Amino acid sequence: MAQAQIVIAGVSHCYRPPSGRPVLALEDVTLDVRGREFVALLGPSGCGKSTLLYLIGGFLPTETGKILIEGKPIAAPGPDRGIVFQHFALFPWKTVRGNVLYGLERMGLPREERQQRAQSFIDLVGLSGFEDSYPSQLSGGMRQRTALARTLAFDPKILLMDEPFGALDAQTRGLMQSELLSIWQRTPKTVIFVTHDVQEAVYLADRVAVMSARPGRIKAIVDTKFDKSDPAIFRNKAFTDKVDEIWNLVRIEAIKAQTGRAS
Amino acid sequence: MPGGPLAELAREPSAYRWLRTAGWGFARVVSLVALAVAWELAARSGAFTPYMLPALSAVLERIWSDLIAGDLVVNTGETLYRAFAGFLIGAVAGIALGMGISRNRFTHWFFDPIISVGFPMPKIAFLPVVMLWLGVYDMSKITMIAVEAIFPVVTATIVGIRGVERELLWSARNMGATERELLWQIALPAALPQIITGLQVALPIALIVAIVTEMFMGGYGLGGAMNTASRFADSRGVFAGIVEIAVIGYALVKGVMLVRRRLLLWHQEALAPSTV
Amino acid sequence: MIEPAIATSSGGSPQRRMQAALLRYLPLLLLALAWEVGARSGLVSTLALPSLSTVVAAWIDLLKDGELVSNGAASLWRTGAGLALAIVIGAALGIFMAWWRPVNVLLSPLVEIFYPMPKSALIPVTVLWLGFGNGSKILLIFLGCMLPVTIGAFNGARSSEQALVWSARSMGANRLRMLWDVVVPSAMPELLNGIRTALALSFILLVSSELIAAREGLGYLIGFLGASGTYDAMFAVVLTVALLGFIADRIYLVLMQRVLRWRE
Repeated sequence: MAQAQIVIAGVSHCYRPPSGRPVLALEDVTLDVRGREFVALLGPSGCGKSTLLYLIGGFLPTETGKILIEGKPIAAPGPDRGIVFQHFALFPWKTVRGNVLYGLERMGLPREERQQRAQSFIDLVGLSGFEDSYPSQLSGGMRQRTALARTLAFDPKILLMDEPFGALDAQTRGLMQSELLSIWQRTPKTVIFVTHDVQEAVYLADRVAVMSARPGRIKAIVDTKFDKSDPAIFRNKAFTDKVDEIWNLVRIEAIKAQTGRAS
Repeated sequence: MPGGPLAELAREPSAYRWLRTAGWGFARVVSLVALAVAWELAARSGAFTPYMLPALSAVLERIWSDLIAGDLVVNTGETLYRAFAGFLIGAVAGIALGMGISRNRFTHWFFDPIISVGFPMPKIAFLPVVMLWLGVYDMSKITMIAVEAIFPVVTATIVGIRGVERELLWSARNMGATERELLWQIALPAALPQIITGLQVALPIALIVAIVTEMFMGGYGLGGAMNTASRFADSRGVFAGIVEIAVIGYALVKGVMLVRRRLLLWHQEALAPSTV
Repeated sequence: MIEPAIATSSGGSPQRRMQAALLRYLPLLLLALAWEVGARSGLVSTLALPSLSTVVAAWIDLLKDGELVSNGAASLWRTGAGLALAIVIGAALGIFMAWWRPVNVLLSPLVEIFYPMPKSALIPVTVLWLGFGNGSKILLIFLGCMLPVTIGAFNGARSSEQALVWSARSMGANRLRMLWDVVVPSAMPELLNGIRTALALSFILLVSSELIAAREGLGYLIGFLGASGTYDAMFAVVLTVALLGFIADRIYLVLMQRVLRWRE
């Protein structure tokens, strides 16, 4: 059996604000992610799931415990782990094409190839014709597609997604979810997807890691492999049972997070 | 999917916008004309002596003759040259200093009190000192202008760079950008709107200071000309100067706004609503 | 107005905060030290830059023989009077413009046209009208500082939330009460910021006009001392003026924060 691609062992993280007391965001998190697997990190607000994502991405330093990517500890952010943020983080002064090209420019590819690659990914996410638009001219859904194209373009092995559809309206979100799945099926990568939406997690992921309220711990890992091509999947009994099962796990934590927050 | 940018379709009905801008333009003209008429009538009414309030027509005549004689052009040129020279020096130094302060802890520690204390000071009080050190010609004027202009630019640069979204920097790092590239390719463009606001504040300041230094030191330039007029009790000349300077000040501010709009095209478009 | 943030040390004992403040302003102390050393050691010609100690001595002399106080009083009187007029009339104007449409339509374009004009251009005309004395300076500061206050009041009054106005109306407030109870308090933050700008501008206009055309006042004193070659005294007054401007701004900030206490 191949060793897991991503190994997270005993990771804790303390958040130290400039003023006020330090807060333990994550406590002793352990998780193995296999190559090409789609894993969802699910939990109530404040449980540290985004923090865990940033640790994997190398944006925050791992102080306690270790995170290994293919056996090697991470040192810094890098193009092997592409990240997609909830609020798109597009460079507003660059066009769609300019944004997508940014990562490609760093790869040292010849100009022709860069342009071609950029175009193919813009087409992949369905933004053909908008290459020369600026982010401020686009809707939320289109901006997120640009962000996706940008990250996919430099072909990271691992995709880190931080509630990428959280800022979109319900209909767009639904569309983006199925598009993401079809893109993933075509260009399979390891995906770690952070969300607080149970249904989204069950729909998209192979496995759902449920996290507890702060300090975050992996409470349970549930298998959620279904035949996602079924258009009526959201009404499928096995699917809804699974959603219920996981929702029960999350609800307790959500309540804890609420009441804990009140202090 | 429709080809081409969405903005054309989604913009507010252009007729509306045009009407509103036209409406304001019209109001401006009406107010200005009303003011001009009031001035002329007041001057002619005999309530004021021609010394206290020369008629608008006389003042305009004077401006015209200055223009023909070439004096107006020379003076305007001198003042604008000094103002722009000082402004550019202040702008470049301000941005550079702002970037340095954002990056380097020591620079930040060293300059922070200087900026914070220096900002509200009437730095014009140092003009005699600058004159003592640098003489009575352009050098001291331009230095004074630069010193005054640098403050809003530094502050704006610092605020702008500090305000760059963390996730923008992280995305760039994710794609392999080095520290240098982060500063020049990401932080600076992201801070640009704020920096330009700082420049927009600095330019009128440069003009004000240019005029004051000229009034103090005399010689050529719009300020110097007004000072001379004042010395010779030439009230038409004084009023002519006010009108000229008002026009230039207005043109400058409008011009800068246009430049801002062009540079920040990508930012401006955020005002246009989008669909889909 | 783009302003450097004042360092607020959150938490910590008063001792801690004093230490933090000291560390923060240390570079200024170092500069003062460098100045003294530079002048004494002869690195810099004392003609161009008298040593800090001689400047301080000159300052004390000026204080003793009353020059500093009498000129300072004249300057502060002018600034105070001009600013007071600018604030009262400017704020009233701004609020009326926001409250009555026709006034707005009439005056807004004028405000927009005159705002970019460098107010220093008014120095010769005020001198023309009122000579070298107090009157011309007060008029100058009044005219020059009025617009920032007006614009602040205008923007502030405009921003008073529609919901607040409607609630007040539904509770039976008539127009005047609404003005006083809702519009004015809502306008405060922007108005106070406008006044802060006017404060800084008043000092600039004061010093400029006193340097150019005056018979007394701190600006005049600077010019006089400079012309007579007593540079150490000149430096002393220059620094005094600069410091006055700084202190005025800081005091104003404290007052402003006190008034805006409700704003979190």
